[in-house]
Amino acid sequence: MPLYSCNALPGAIDDAAKPKIAADITRIHCDVTGAPPIFVHAFFFEDAPHQPLDDSKAFLFGSIRAGRTDDQKAQIADQMRQSIHTHAGIPLEDIKVITQDTPAKWVLEGGEIMPEPGEEAEWLAKHHPEAAAHA
Amino acid sequence: MIPCTCIVQDGQISAESEATLRSKLDAFSTKAFGSSAEINWVTVPAAGGFTASKPSTSSIVSIRPSAPIDQETRATLLHELCGFWTAETGQTLNEIVGVISDPMPA
Repeated sequence: MPLYSCNALPGAIDDAAKPKIAADITRIHCDVTGAPPIFVHAFFFEDAPHQPLDDSKAFLFGSIRAGRTDDQKAQIADQMRQSIHTHAGIPLEDIKVITQDTPAKWVLEGGEIMPEPGEEAEWLAKHHPEAAAHA
Repeated sequence: MIPCTCIVQDGQISAESEATLRSKLDAFSTKAFGSSAEINWVTVPAAGGFTASKPSTSSIVSIRPSAPIDQETRATLLHELCGFWTAETGQTLNEIVGVISDPMPA
């Protein structure tokens, strides 16, 4: 967690663009929230029924830990929309980005309940010491 | 029925393991929440999953019971869920994210 799930029209985001967008999603989320990269999942789908596109060509849905400010969420949405536009060439107006708060206490990752935002150091030291050393 | 979404990476879990996990999830849901699981099994296409910017080996299992549960119960159930998942798949605990939510607000 966070989990960013990106659904798009078939072919709208090619395989070369996906790792670039995933890298941007990871960087943006970590820059804005201070979370460690190891927590960030970015999954890409095409025409996935579980995440309807409605009238968009790409829809990025981020399930993020609760506790982020409205300003942080707006930065995440704006910057990630720009990344998809830049790497996939989809017009900005055809890209939808939404985040949804998920309480950390609802989530088990690494065999333990997720830490609250800002309280990751102990969790990282236990499960990903290499990441903790660079956090 | 209790909604249960499983998101897995392409080619990561065999059809046999998927069938076993579906059965275990259904039994888990019935025991824990009193109703069988409505499983939505979603496969991330090849080269479409990333964790920490690298190709992902992570699975996400998310369950939304119909009634709220206390945190101690939730934690116990999450450990049980991730325990049988890793035992069946051979994934490590760092590769499974379990979520047990509260019900959607009315």
